[in-house]
Amino acid sequence: MNRTYSTALNAVMVVLGAIGSILWLGATFRSGETYYFWGIWLIVAAAGVYLVRYTLENGRDELLALVRKSLRSVVVPVMGIVVAILIGGVLMAITGYDPIAAYQALFYGGLVRNWHISVLNAAPLIFTALSVAFAFKAGLFNIGAEGQYYLGAMGATWASLYLGLPGIISIPLVFIFAALLGAAWNVVPAFLKVKTGAHEVITTMMLAHVARYLSPVFIRANGGDPATSLHPYVTFEILENNMLPSFSQFMEHANYRVHTGILLAIIVALVINFLLYKTRIGFEIRAVGENKDAARAQGISVGKNIFRALLIAGALAALAGFNQVNGLDHKLFENLQAGYGWNGISVALLAGGNPVGVVFTGLLWGMLDAGGQFMSRTTQTPSAIVEIVKGIILFLVVARYIYTAISQWWKRRKQKQTTAVAAGQA
Amino acid sequence: MAILETRHIVKQFPKVLANDDINLTLQEGEILCLLGENGAGKSTLMNVLYGLYKPTSGTIVLDGEEVEFSSPRDAIDRGLGMVHQHFMLVDTLTVTENIILGSEPGSGPVIDYKTARQQVKELSERYGLQVDPDARIMNLSVGLQQRVEILKALYRKAKILILDEPTAVLTPQEVEELFAVIRTLRDSGVSIIIITHKLEEVKAIANRVYILRRGRIEGEREIADVTKEELANLMVGRSVVLTVHREPHEAKPEPVFTVENLRVLDDREVEAVDDLSLTVKPGEVVGIAGVDGNGQSELAEAIMGLRPATSGRILLRGNDIEHLTTRERINQRISHVPADRQRFGLVLPFTVAENIAIGYHDRAPNSRGLVLDYAGMEKQAEELISSYDIRTPGPLAPAAHLSGGNQQKVILAREFSRNPDFLLVNQPTRGLDVGAIEYIHSQILRMRGQDVGVMLISLELEEIFALSDRILVMYEGQIVKELTPAETDEREVGFYMTGGKERSA
Amino acid sequence: MITFDFIVNLLVATIRLSTPITLAAIGAVICERSGIVNIAMEGIMLIGAFFAAIVAFYSGNPWLGLLAGIFFGAIFSLLHAFATVSLHLDHVVSGAVLNILALGLTRYLMVLIVGHPGTSDPIPVGLSDYQFAIPVLSRIPVIGPMFFNQTPIVYMSFVLIILFTWFLFKTKTGLHIRSAGEHPLALETIGVSVYKMRYLGVLVSGMVGGLAGAYLSIENNVSFTEGMTNGRGFIAMAAMISGGWHPVGAFLAALFFGFADALQVRFQVFKIVDLPEEVFIIFPYVLTVIAVAGLVRKSRPPKAVGTDFMIERSED
Repeated sequence: MNRTYSTALNAVMVVLGAIGSILWLGATFRSGETYYFWGIWLIVAAAGVYLVRYTLENGRDELLALVRKSLRSVVVPVMGIVVAILIGGVLMAITGYDPIAAYQALFYGGLVRNWHISVLNAAPLIFTALSVAFAFKAGLFNIGAEGQYYLGAMGATWASLYLGLPGIISIPLVFIFAALLGAAWNVVPAFLKVKTGAHEVITTMMLAHVARYLSPVFIRANGGDPATSLHPYVTFEILENNMLPSFSQFMEHANYRVHTGILLAIIVALVINFLLYKTRIGFEIRAVGENKDAARAQGISVGKNIFRALLIAGALAALAGFNQVNGLDHKLFENLQAGYGWNGISVALLAGGNPVGVVFTGLLWGMLDAGGQFMSRTTQTPSAIVEIVKGIILFLVVARYIYTAISQWWKRRKQKQTTAVAAGQA
Repeated sequence: MAILETRHIVKQFPKVLANDDINLTLQEGEILCLLGENGAGKSTLMNVLYGLYKPTSGTIVLDGEEVEFSSPRDAIDRGLGMVHQHFMLVDTLTVTENIILGSEPGSGPVIDYKTARQQVKELSERYGLQVDPDARIMNLSVGLQQRVEILKALYRKAKILILDEPTAVLTPQEVEELFAVIRTLRDSGVSIIIITHKLEEVKAIANRVYILRRGRIEGEREIADVTKEELANLMVGRSVVLTVHREPHEAKPEPVFTVENLRVLDDREVEAVDDLSLTVKPGEVVGIAGVDGNGQSELAEAIMGLRPATSGRILLRGNDIEHLTTRERINQRISHVPADRQRFGLVLPFTVAENIAIGYHDRAPNSRGLVLDYAGMEKQAEELISSYDIRTPGPLAPAAHLSGGNQQKVILAREFSRNPDFLLVNQPTRGLDVGAIEYIHSQILRMRGQDVGVMLISLELEEIFALSDRILVMYEGQIVKELTPAETDEREVGFYMTGGKERSA
Repeated sequence: MITFDFIVNLLVATIRLSTPITLAAIGAVICERSGIVNIAMEGIMLIGAFFAAIVAFYSGNPWLGLLAGIFFGAIFSLLHAFATVSLHLDHVVSGAVLNILALGLTRYLMVLIVGHPGTSDPIPVGLSDYQFAIPVLSRIPVIGPMFFNQTPIVYMSFVLIILFTWFLFKTKTGLHIRSAGEHPLALETIGVSVYKMRYLGVLVSGMVGGLAGAYLSIENNVSFTEGMTNGRGFIAMAAMISGGWHPVGAFLAALFFGFADALQVRFQVFKIVDLPEEVFIIFPYVLTVIAVAGLVRKSRPPKAVGTDFMIERSED
């Protein structure tokens, strides 16, 4: 197909998708219904344009193959979700709550009434999930994302309290500063991993605990005066120029709380996806993650790439902190509704470590949280049941994911197994 | 009297019919050989016999009784013992512990080590398999480890012993010792099956032989009545060119690659390469012969920059390269075909195209600046797939889907297409079938014909003799002898490989 | 201020504070020796702590609580065993998922059973009430109060260290477990089930992890608080690594961390240096990082730990 047609279609697709996403994400159901639905239709239209272009370029058979492949990769998480919901329902029933009413409230709250809260919840999760997923690609487990989150939050707060430049300039600066702090927090684990082989699970986890204890110190030094403010401690509010714009600033009827951090998260996800799959650095990182012996034999520096991966991962998790402070809270609370790091791990696993996938699983998680709160307010079912459902989804999806994703590796294993067991070749 | 029989054994794997209607008998007290090239199905059959696999159909008859094994335990209890090609020994445990594993003496939960050592000592004396019962496996030579494996089977009172490619890791001298042990065992009432692809060994030790090809029995012969050529033909199914023909080729006088007084330590901080020097000229193949573990891998790693040298020089086209990183050495046009292709040669989940690109992924046609150029990568891959006849669904197929031979071809395509001046090839045909071996040998000779300097490390003397212009024997980290194929034979090379010293007349 | 009594006090506290880590670490030793990486130790301890407190509260009997802790720790660990051995899931992923699951589960059950999140109601009788001194031995200066005047689970930990060492190196099953972690195929071809050995390894670590959790809630404390394990499961992993995958080594490493913990509390209390309290709290964590970095080089894990093992036994 002609190159200009292809580019034109691509452009149409991007524009439709972008406008659609902005409308959809910025809307709340009650006050912004039109935006919500318009947003969805535009996104669907963009997808349609993509399919049209794909068919024109590659033919109908390829299209069917693509559809089949996508379905296969989606079937597994969906199955996991369905089964987990069922098990959760049973658990609720056994313990005396009404599962039907509870789930109704859950889905209504998460998908419709409090959609904006779902979006608000999703943004930091997407960042931390990107962090964990990116590290996964290098064969590393950045379990201490929570700590890098705190570092990013603290850094963003500090810079935002004092940097008085116009928003256009200072917000990017704060962004970079937070990212750098998060990356710096992973320098020691990266260094130790490369030089001594120290497992990053333990080192990042320990540093996460350290960060957690450092934050109250920071807060007290920046406004959390025990004498005048109440527990939980909180810092002063950041300067207005450093607050992320909210959708309501350019969209009527949009909820004033929903800020543009989610757009940032999506853009970063796309950038990371590009970095991983379309650049040399991403190629090297993936090679090291898949087989560091072969990578090394071809001259790829394993140490350098482990470093890169952990530092970038640290920066990503820190951006979640930036998102929360500059976008939502505009200050730093002592007990940050913690858990973005931990939940980020779940979100990443659920998406199979795929950078674009985490956007979707992040939204799912955000929806479950928002719906869970709505559910507990209106039906008195403890929202902790949502935690259990999430845990089960995770367990099932990860188990299944490993099964399907490595069915090819399975064959290789069988070959290797056959080789080992048969002590020769079959 | 037939002590063991298989009747119509079939073993089907998802994509492969490994054993197709196998009927064979083992007579009591005989040494039976199962001959076939890599991939013929011999090991699958043995694993079926040993209880590791369940046959898709067919029966096993032991001592006249039909038996079904649901695990190796059953087979062991019925008197079958197996010595695998890759040893089933736990490195950190002692000889005794490995031998008694699973059948430990002692009432209750506690192991009676005293009795165990006693039993091991008696056993090794009885069969002439001397070994130190308290030694740790990791400190033993390969030949001694094999003894432990045999003792393991004997400890469990095996009446039938199956040996899978037992000579693959032995020197010619050790092979003789092994054969002596086998004869002793036979004389004491053990029936023996040897799996191998080496024709000379079949002739040397066995009474009878079954030839296996593509999962079926192609023939059964008494050793006395058959020639090597007949065996080879049955094994491969056509008239076999036993070696690739090596045309004489004049090497250029100036060496392209030199190693001077190289010293390299292994992982245990022991000197693996000990003051080693050699040269390779453009247009010649220098074959490094030696038993595995005499420093060859450390030498290869040092050459490629994967392991530091403690002293000495490495020169490429007259320039020192010891201080260069692996990446820089690759840029200097050294190519490397590593010994373990799946571990060091390929990133299996990556596509064929990516595996061809890796190492040169930072330049055209694989990338433009910092961004990868997949179109260019694929195009290059397609060209190479065609010129190297790589059987693959396409350049975007994951390397893991390819057969061993084709995986090796991908590596060759990558390394050879970089127009190296010096080529280091390590165990290029391990585990491959005859067709692939022929192809790879011809490719190596083609590079030689293009005046590339080739250094070949191999454990297969046949391969060394087929390809090398000069043979360097490596023993305990040193080159102990230089020979040419014309003026020597495998026995002599084997002699030096095991540390034999020239006798001063 | 650094009196003799202060030092003895410090050492006794060291034993006390290191006990949960010791228990978790020696359990992890057995588990990893069989080839399974058990990052879920943190979650197992939490589950054990929770059920120990709940059962102790409602039954009024702390010993029942102890048993409950062990029991539920074991059950929870079965999930990990199933995921890694039978489903061939990545060990680290499974462990991480189970930790998350444990947090959610304990929170939900808290609200359900106790009625509110946070901390459960204090139990009337804790195991600390059963502290007793062994006659004669407890009179020995320094060593006496450290080892012979302690609470029940602490005594159990001493016994278990010896028991596990004996088990691992002197018994048949111990030999099998070690082989399963070094060269599982070798074990399988001799007819011993690697799967069974690995299940056993995980189960043992589950029981001991549950015991460690029980210690946290009903012996060292009188109630369960959400997240009370606080990273100890990971510190136990570090102790296992520093201890060279040997029960005695793990014990010594755990003592080291316990010492750091005991020290840190005393620095806070006695205000020896004037810094915010958090600086002291983080001390054990920092120490763990240093320990893992410095000592990993020297000790060698079981060769096949973390690797999957799959039997091709089915008729395809």
